[in-house]
Amino acid sequence: MAMEGEELISDQDKIKIVSDFILHSPPGEFNEVFNDVRGLVNNDALLKEGTCWAFALYNKEQTLPIKLENSEYPVLITQFNDLGSSRFYDPRSKQSFKFDHLRKEPSNYENWEPDSETETWRSVFETEFTSYTSLHYKHGTCSVFAKQEGSSTVITACIEDHEFQAKNFWNGRWRSQWTLTVGPTNIDVFGFLRIHVHYYENGNVQLVASKEIKESIALTTEELAVKEVLKIAEDAENEYQIAITENYQTMSETTFKALRRQLPVTRTKIDWNKIVSYSIAKEFKTQ
Amino acid sequence: MSDIQMDCALDLMRRLPPQKIEKHLSDLIDLVPSLCEDLLSSVDQPLKIIRDKQVGKDFLLCDYNRDGDSYRSPWSNTYFPPLDDGAVPTEKLRKLEIDANMAFDQYREMYFEGGVSSVYLWDLDQGFAGVILIKKVGDGSKKVRGTWDSIHVVEVQEKNTGRNAHYKLTSTVMLWLQTNKAVSGSMSLAGSLTRQTEMDSPVSDSSPHIANIGRMVEDMENKMRNTLNEVYFGKTCDIMNGLRSVVPLNADDENKEALRQDLTAALQKRHTKFDAKDSTNPTSN
Repeated sequence: MAMEGEELISDQDKIKIVSDFILHSPPGEFNEVFNDVRGLVNNDALLKEGTCWAFALYNKEQTLPIKLENSEYPVLITQFNDLGSSRFYDPRSKQSFKFDHLRKEPSNYENWEPDSETETWRSVFETEFTSYTSLHYKHGTCSVFAKQEGSSTVITACIEDHEFQAKNFWNGRWRSQWTLTVGPTNIDVFGFLRIHVHYYENGNVQLVASKEIKESIALTTEELAVKEVLKIAEDAENEYQIAITENYQTMSETTFKALRRQLPVTRTKIDWNKIVSYSIAKEFKTQ
Repeated sequence: MSDIQMDCALDLMRRLPPQKIEKHLSDLIDLVPSLCEDLLSSVDQPLKIIRDKQVGKDFLLCDYNRDGDSYRSPWSNTYFPPLDDGAVPTEKLRKLEIDANMAFDQYREMYFEGGVSSVYLWDLDQGFAGVILIKKVGDGSKKVRGTWDSIHVVEVQEKNTGRNAHYKLTSTVMLWLQTNKAVSGSMSLAGSLTRQTEMDSPVSDSSPHIANIGRMVEDMENKMRNTLNEVYFGKTCDIMNGLRSVVPLNADDENKEALRQDLTAALQKRHTKFDAKDSTNPTSN
């Protein structure tokens, strides 16, 4: 820790610290964290130039849903549809766009052509995961991406749901990511589920939780396999959510109770005059 | 400028995940070294325990018993590591500090049934101030690790030649819970809540400062325990369950409850399986 009067740290170290703060912004609080950091660094040019990579990484990590022109359904900003040079694509509406990570605005739309080799699998998973999302997420968004890796088609389905209630001092986000590696005989299923909740009325309380899931299924017919994958995803997410809810119960009923009692064993509050006189008596004894 | 910076720093600490509070605070101080002293005295950190080797008893560290890199023990009134000219309270205040430590040690035993407590006092222009610290680490049963840290700062203004006093209490409770299981992955619920209260009270032999402060701290901690229970295990759980629904959103209302019960029962069976797996493989924990 630097003490007062010590030499100031280099611009490079400042950027490193500030980027780390930005990447740790709770869901929905990027602007507030950015404004705090701006006030602390007091050098907009340095901040903008040094940390723009962190804005981009943060948005992709959060899988930000963005409304596009000519499309009813939003697209998620992720590492899987990043075309470089701040451009992203939406496989659903078949367009690419420039994305301003600070203003969170899309622009400069262009047509985007899917890869014909992977598009069949991608579009069928998109239909199924979108319908699944609407069944389990009140304000959920789902985007499905594809790429070819050797002889395998790799499908990534991202699901995001958030609720921001700054007025009531809380924000929360759920993210699911399902990576399906479709090989000649098998589909490897990898799931990554993340929950982040922030409650900050006269305090700062956060739930940070995540789980990884690995399964593999035999590739029979396309129709059966897709159904099976969706069943795995639904069961795993339900099981996870119930397990987290049960942990809450254990934490409240067992761990929390054992940390501090509601009242002493006597079931009455402390008689402080007795305690104080007892302390003094004890002190005399030990002296 | 510095005031704005301090506001930004405090707002930032209210937002960044408490799970990494120590790293964020030390980074913040590196970033704006001029805020170091202010930040250390206004941002609560998880309490650390060290041993008073003179009396063989543990005590708690905070900014109020720190002098340089050493910390004063409330039990022996000496610094660890040793410090020749470390600041100590006046004799009169030290006497009160000894009594306060004994009283809150009993309070700790009655409510926490374990843990460590420490009380530190210092003089003010018209009265004195103190900090009451309590730390309790859970035993990790049911695979959940838990820690409770209480930090109560009290300011006492004496009036009418000491027959009355005004008490101002600022209490922070930090609660850390963490678990890592096959079925629920890694889950961390952490943070702190802060509350303030003020009170006027007569001071006499039958109502000494320590008893007045004790009652105030006890009431406050009892209230905060209820609030922590609601916020940690009620509020953040409800927010999570508002993001995703286990029961399909298109299910009829009457079907919803039946479906929820079916799912819970089915998963309970799988849990038993998972728990068995966990217990045979303690390294997965």
